[in-house]
Amino acid sequence: MTDHADHSRRNFLYVAAGGLGAVAAGATIVPFVGSMLPAADTLAASKTEFEVSTVAEGQLVVIQWQGKPVFIVNRTTDMLNRIQGHDDKLKDPMSQAMSDVQADWMDTEEKRINRSIKPEYLVLVASCTHLGCIPLFKPTEGQKDWGDSVPADWAGGWHCPCHGSLYDLSGRVVNGSPAPNNLHVMQYKYMTDTKVLIG
Amino acid sequence: MIESMMKTRLFQWVDARTDAGSIIRSQLTEYPAPRNLNYMWNFGSLALLVLVLQILTGIFLVMYYKPSAEMTAGGFTVAFDSIERIMRDVNFGWLIRYMHAVGASAFFIVVYLHIARGLYYGSYKGPRELLWIIGVVILLIMQGAAFFGYLLPWGQMSFWGATVITNLFGAVPVIGDLISEVLRGGFAVGDPTLNRFFSLHYLFPLLLAAIVGGHVHALHVVHSNNPEGIDIDHEKETIPFHPYYTIKDAFGVAVFLIPYCYFVFFNPEAWGYFIEVDNFVPANNLQTPAHIAPVWYLTPWYTILRSFESKLLGVAAMGASLAILFVLPFLDRSKVRSARYRPVYRQMVILFFISVLVLGYCGHSAPTATLKLVGQIATAIYFGFFLLLPFVHKFEKTKPVPERI
Ligand code: HEM
Ligand code: FES
Repeated sequence: MTDHADHSRRNFLYVAAGGLGAVAAGATIVPFVGSMLPAADTLAASKTEFEVSTVAEGQLVVIQWQGKPVFIVNRTTDMLNRIQGHDDKLKDPMSQAMSDVQADWMDTEEKRINRSIKPEYLVLVASCTHLGCIPLFKPTEGQKDWGDSVPADWAGGWHCPCHGSLYDLSGRVVNGSPAPNNLHVMQYKYMTDTKVLIG
Repeated sequence: MIESMMKTRLFQWVDARTDAGSIIRSQLTEYPAPRNLNYMWNFGSLALLVLVLQILTGIFLVMYYKPSAEMTAGGFTVAFDSIERIMRDVNFGWLIRYMHAVGASAFFIVVYLHIARGLYYGSYKGPRELLWIIGVVILLIMQGAAFFGYLLPWGQMSFWGATVITNLFGAVPVIGDLISEVLRGGFAVGDPTLNRFFSLHYLFPLLLAAIVGGHVHALHVVHSNNPEGIDIDHEKETIPFHPYYTIKDAFGVAVFLIPYCYFVFFNPEAWGYFIEVDNFVPANNLQTPAHIAPVWYLTPWYTILRSFESKLLGVAAMGASLAILFVLPFLDRSKVRSARYRPVYRQMVILFFISVLVLGYCGHSAPTATLKLVGQIATAIYFGFFLLLPFVHKFEKTKPVPERI
């Protein structure tokens, strides 16, 4: 034993003990933040069935899936024609930007443009990709029915009341909108000719 | 009055054990305040009054309010019904709720004027930088508290306002989705969101109370600025806070209570400005109201958000517009404080006030192409103010400041 303390050893112990204490204190954040994540029952994914033939031609229906609103539209031939010919005005005409705007069933060019399995029945997540409002369905052409909330060359689609994003009748976002992406699609399949299983 | 109270034996007994007397003397009866403060210096004490009112009315509301989005047999939600019950069945419930709802707007009116005072007279400049920074923290916590509180009635605006703001955080790169899930406790705003917002709505004002304590303490270290913006002689140019400014503050309270009571008793919705009309409609997650906008006190920042095409840029600009207030004391290099002696700064700060009002107006209105442009111009002026500030002292010819107040 000497009278001289071994300072380097002592400093090492200070730093090691202090560091471990800080790590332990930091680690207690995990359960607290973790408790704020969606709980197990909230997560339990649900599937929703829907009879699409109940949607009249040209009409839109909003249903719920996992607590989120979903659009189902029965598009007329006229409406399907009006999704053609304006690709240059769209941010992402072929829905390639990110995984949420495409699904496995989009295996042909036609399905990528229609954004649906059967051309007429469009099924989309109804949340604006900007900040989550539900866009308003404004299916007719021009400003006649909608005033200046839509541009003069409006081909029909959705207008978001919150910050003015525009989507065409396939839910593809129009240039100049604050929304970055097309309306999201999800996995769904036809159980029968007219019954879809969403999720 | 205080003097005679301090002479009582009871007070002497307490004083011997707490030293309360020296606190009262140093902070009140002998606390030196500049003798030339004008009425713009009344808003600090008013803010304190409103904070106390909010905490008091809030505690009584919680005795009846129920934070649950479960449906009731009547087809509404527990939360919405509990507010209706406070309004109709609870004795004086309507009064306490309206005091709280009107109080929220009153709080922001008072605090915005308090901040404007600091900007105009250069109170944010040294040695009061930290005092200003603590104030900005208070502003952010207030905005958080009001945002959490607005969800509680579970009306249409509550629901969609919370949807939009929680989605905002989704724009943050990489961890954005995690943040919005942590805020909401689910994939959409719902019952878990209501519960956690209630918890935070209770917490934030209590945090405020503590931070306001720090704000006042910092003030009493560096002392009040004054309309001339000059350093003063603490012997010759001050008067004791009590009774001179306690009486002036009390007069301010009396004046404040006139419009406050008018709104509480006769016009609590204030034409849809204090309580938005859509919030009388129960929350419906399948339908967005035709026009959604935050309550007036958040609309300037909402316009900044809307002024950008890209979602990420919009969110970043909104964050920056508040964060930049923190560095204001270091951006301004001029030696003169008060705008009275700074001709260029005076024009700039008045233009800045106008830009905030214009931003507020745009954010309250439905988005159109013209308003979007107006909002973008106002946004440019807002940021321009801060960006120009570091260079103003180079060309500004300040007027000579007085030696004495
Ligand atoms: C910084 C102070 C506070 C601010 C700015 C504030 C703001 C608000 C706002 C804007 C609302 C919605 C009002 C409405 O539309 O009816 C609200 C509701 C509510 N607040 Fe606060 N609040 C504050 C402090 C408190 C405190 C301390 C408590 C409880 C301890 C509290 C409890 C409540 C309750 C129970 C409601 C729901 C009742 C209602 O909507 O009227 N608040 N608050
Ligand atoms: S939420 Fe739709 S445009 Fe902002």
